[in-house]
Amino acid sequence: MAETQIPPQQTPGAFGAYVKNVRDTAKSFWEGMSVTLSYMFRKPMTTQYPDRMGVPVQQTIPARYRGFLEVDMDICTACQACERACPIQVINIDILKGDGKITPKLRMERFDIDIGKCMYCGLCVEPCPTGAIQHTREFEGAVMHFNNLTLRFVPDPLVPVVPYKPPKGAEAFPRRELGEITRKLIKAWDAPPPPFPSEEAAKADHGKPKQGGALDISAMGRQLAARALQVKEDKPRLQKVLEEAMAGTDCGDCGYPDCFGYSDAIAQGKETSSEKCAPGGADSKAMLDTILVSLKTGVVPGAPPPAAPPAAEPGAAAPGSAAEPAVAKGPPLAKTLSKDELYKVVLDAMAGTDCGDCEYPDCDGYTKGIVYEGQTDLGRCAPGGEDTRAKLYEIMLGTKPPPK
Amino acid sequence: MQGFLDNLIRGWGYDPATWPWTQFIYLFFMGLFSFLVINFAAISGGIFSWAERRIAARMQSRVGPNRVGPAGFLQWIADAVKLLFKEDLIPDESDQILFRAAPYFMMVGFACVFVALPFSHRLIIADMNVGIFYILAVTALIVVGIIMSGWSSNSKWSLFGAIRSAAQIVSYEIPAGMALMIPVLLAGTMSTQGIIRAQGAWPWQWFIFDNPAATAAFFIFFTSALAEGNRTPFDLPEAESELVSGYNTEYSGMRFSYFFLVEWGNLWVMSALAVTMFMGGWQVPFLPADRLDALTGGMAVLAEIASLAIFAVKTLFFVFVVMWLRWTLPRIRVDQMMNMCWKYLVPASFVAVLFVAFWMLVVRAAPALGIAMHFLLAGIAGAAVVLFVLRVAKNLRDTGDKFDLTSNW
Repeated sequence: MAETQIPPQQTPGAFGAYVKNVRDTAKSFWEGMSVTLSYMFRKPMTTQYPDRMGVPVQQTIPARYRGFLEVDMDICTACQACERACPIQVINIDILKGDGKITPKLRMERFDIDIGKCMYCGLCVEPCPTGAIQHTREFEGAVMHFNNLTLRFVPDPLVPVVPYKPPKGAEAFPRRELGEITRKLIKAWDAPPPPFPSEEAAKADHGKPKQGGALDISAMGRQLAARALQVKEDKPRLQKVLEEAMAGTDCGDCGYPDCFGYSDAIAQGKETSSEKCAPGGADSKAMLDTILVSLKTGVVPGAPPPAAPPAAEPGAAAPGSAAEPAVAKGPPLAKTLSKDELYKVVLDAMAGTDCGDCEYPDCDGYTKGIVYEGQTDLGRCAPGGEDTRAKLYEIMLGTKPPPK
Repeated sequence: MQGFLDNLIRGWGYDPATWPWTQFIYLFFMGLFSFLVINFAAISGGIFSWAERRIAARMQSRVGPNRVGPAGFLQWIADAVKLLFKEDLIPDESDQILFRAAPYFMMVGFACVFVALPFSHRLIIADMNVGIFYILAVTALIVVGIIMSGWSSNSKWSLFGAIRSAAQIVSYEIPAGMALMIPVLLAGTMSTQGIIRAQGAWPWQWFIFDNPAATAAFFIFFTSALAEGNRTPFDLPEAESELVSGYNTEYSGMRFSYFFLVEWGNLWVMSALAVTMFMGGWQVPFLPADRLDALTGGMAVLAEIASLAIFAVKTLFFVFVVMWLRWTLPRIRVDQMMNMCWKYLVPASFVAVLFVAFWMLVVRAAPALGIAMHFLLAGIAGAAVVLFVLRVAKNLRDTGDKFDLTSNW
């Protein structure tokens, strides 16, 4: 403006500086205003996302962008390599086994990818043998409820998907256009959220002891034990108290048909083990122990319950997770040998033809699946037939194989 | 306006001097015209707020508000509705009465200007014989409002802004007043309509091209008007980055909207004043003022609309220039602002007044010299406009861009 910051070359006189300021002002107006006016007549650079784009925004993103995952179920071999590769269990695949004659040997009941959890690391894409799972360029994840963020590539579990059998030696697989499937699934994201609990329901829920979670298990156990003592002789009511200590999922892992069966057996005195509730885990065990101890002694254990906490700690690991309950029976080789020794034994039992019918690339893969990755289907070795199946059951479970 | 009403009453077959209802008719039309003028100010202020945002956006390669209504034109209504529904917060530690009253002082000072501001050949609320003096006087009321709001907010930022504003407006009143003296000298009247009548429709008949001093006076006046309207580069009183918005920091809701209304409404006031004083006002080409007076019936209405349109177009051009300046120039420092006023504009305006007085004597002695000077200055200005357009086109070409006003709208 009136004073410019340019240092003068030779000091002009006072009047010269005065005139120079005026001239500089006029000149900077002339230059500056011609620049701004010229910009007014240009096309603005702004990209009007999302609704006034020339092309869909996905097409403006680099091709190798890691957006939402997509699985082309037409070329998915159900190898579960992506599920194993995922470091944070974003992918969930449920496999249904058939006899291979009337029903296909393998069918996928579920192929869920929780986009809300996905960290877009791309580790699942790398092991995929057919390129069925890929990152798309979709990225807009605004949903009505975070549950909607799960992409279900098998939309209906009652209509399972038969895995793709890649032709031998094939290098390329016919994949549908990237993004098509995910875009279609994303439409479902506008589904309304589950309703909020009504005020009455929220009130009714309040104060009821909840299973698991951050609740104080030992206090809850003592509370239940006190109630159990009051109804010691009344078996049906005692059963109800005992059932409250259980997870209540009626999973049947305890060997009884449901929680009622297990708790009734304890109440009747037919069952003494407190560690059979797999979903309840250490919490259920600790509570049941507290109740059983108090029933035996007639008093509720004090602030540090004598039986429950020490028993709970080692007990936490023993029952294992709900996923592999059958392994926990008997003393089969699987329990006595180390994993590496077990691997050799299991590999010996296989037919050794590397046929790939087990959906693993070769016998080595299937063996590793059984030993290290918790594969519980032991009847996949087609060349070995019934012989191999029996051997595997003997090794892994110490039982005879169930009839087909 | 009184003449218009008297004619109206005579048209109904009464004598305005003796008819008992004359005063009531006056009162009714006073109310009606104030209502119209306030609404004109409010609506034009709103539309300018939208226009400024669109223009600013384009100058910065952006798009600006374009979603509410066609091209975002209804954005200002949405903003107004939002501001009206916002809670009108009044700080607990503020001076309650002054805090509440300050925006109204601003509004009154701003609305009063419209009384003497012409819109067209006949359309003016009151053609006072002291019109310019009146406008300069009521504009000063805005300073009172600003100081009140700054003081009563009980906030340091607000007070800084208010004091800056007071210093600025009081300083720039002097060059503005002196510059406005020149058209008054040339026209021999202070009435706004009289000053317009003394000029002509063509650029070489305007006061801005009367002599070099008048041209300089126009720029002095325009600069001072920018400063008085707190427009960039003189927006020190409400410098967002320094003062957290200055004197209106503590205001919200409707009271805040008054401040903004005044700021944008002032665009029209300062532009209309510049057009009135220097740019020939509403003068219609080929229809001098005395022939306009003589027209009757449909032709008179048509000529009235033409003069209104001419005045509006000229004024809107200056409104655009003010916005354009805002997005071109950075804010100047307080010391630069004061230097500019006292070292440059004030002496220059005094010299200009003296020169014009001298020049009027010269022209009286040799009228041909006056006419030659008119054409010379208008020619120079025309050449400057052509050069400027070429310069803009060159700027556009140099970056490889095309002239494009329609896409990405």
